[in-house]
Amino acid sequence: MKFSDAFRIFVITGLISLIGNFIGFKINPVAAIPGMLILLVLVCIGYLLSKVSPVKLPSIAYISALAIIASVPGVPGAEYVIKHVGQVQFLALCTPVLAYAGISIGKDMEAFKKQGAKIVLTAFLTFIGTFIGSAVIAQIILKLTGVI
Amino acid sequence: MKQKDWKVHVLALVMVAIAEYIGIKRFQLGPGTVLLLPMLYALVMGMFLPLLKLVNRIDMETASPYIGLSVMFLTAKMGTTIGPNLGKVISAGPALLLQELGNLGTIFFALPVAVLVFKMGREAIGAAFSISREGSLAIVADVYGLDSPEGQGVMGAYITGTLFGAVFNGLMVGLIISLGLFHPYSLAMAAGTGSASMMTAALGPVLTAYPAMEAELSAFAATSQLLTSVDGLYMSLFVGIPATEWLYRKLKGKKADSATNEEVVS
Repeated sequence: MKFSDAFRIFVITGLISLIGNFIGFKINPVAAIPGMLILLVLVCIGYLLSKVSPVKLPSIAYISALAIIASVPGVPGAEYVIKHVGQVQFLALCTPVLAYAGISIGKDMEAFKKQGAKIVLTAFLTFIGTFIGSAVIAQIILKLTGVI
Repeated sequence: MKQKDWKVHVLALVMVAIAEYIGIKRFQLGPGTVLLLPMLYALVMGMFLPLLKLVNRIDMETASPYIGLSVMFLTAKMGTTIGPNLGKVISAGPALLLQELGNLGTIFFALPVAVLVFKMGREAIGAAFSISREGSLAIVADVYGLDSPEGQGVMGAYITGTLFGAVFNGLMVGLIISLGLFHPYSLAMAAGTGSASMMTAALGPVLTAYPAMEAELSAFAATSQLLTSVDGLYMSLFVGIPATEWLYRKLKGKKADSATNEEVVS
């Protein structure tokens, strides 16, 4: 996707999130605008980096790295970033994602109906396996390294 | 396409507004806390749109890439929760990195049941190698094609996760906390499995149980989540899928190749 097309979607998503942030969490959009703009800048730079970088990594790898660096205490402007991004709720950013997923889900429903309960139960087993697998390893390593 | 996609955005806006208006609902169910989040309402509303003739096939195709673009804001937000806690995250680094391998544990747990108990064919490979989030869809589409049995498996599991994943994880984690086997740090790390809604739902009961540790628990979950979204693709492609294929052949024995067609029909 061209950057101009992606940028347009970023701005629209940002606006929808601001409105959701207001309705769901009663945060005045004017107070949340600086935080949303910071996120928009991080997203755009990360997206562009993944396009031009010789190392082929997904955009989210660059975006998360930039966001971490921008919010480490001591980095110039980090206090500003933390304070303002704090006005944008994590959950308010989730809802637009699932709204788009909801609009597009119709095209997958036929395949889903055909498979029924077996696939649902198999998926549940993967949730259990992934969570417990990760928790067991984390617990062992945290104990071994003396963190807990 | 540029002009026509306004309908998709307006629909998304309306769905978000309604979902946020309803707000977060939580209630106790047994040992677990069920957390109903606005994102779940948005998804459910979406499922009714075709029935109300509000969207057609083209709108669905249009909305699909916007999922991946809107997720990027979430990624940036998570990054800014890690930065302030970077010291703690680094001291827990080895555990955070290695627990990523736990995501592969699902293969040895879910695949045998799918193949031996449910008698599934190759759809089981698509459904059982991961928790079937967007990245897994992309991998299966690339390796097998989404119209293949494996593709149908991953798609079915993807829809299951999107619909029930948050509710299921909330209940499951509530139950696991009540067992008292794991330190809250371990639970927070395990909560980050690559899905925003599942992470939120899994972390919710942990934060409720240990409110004093909220900042570091959130940072651990977000770090684990980001690690999964970065390494998950490569882990699945180079380790997960080959391991699943191998185990599938072991489980099926000689029937592995001939079994596919008949079981897709049944």
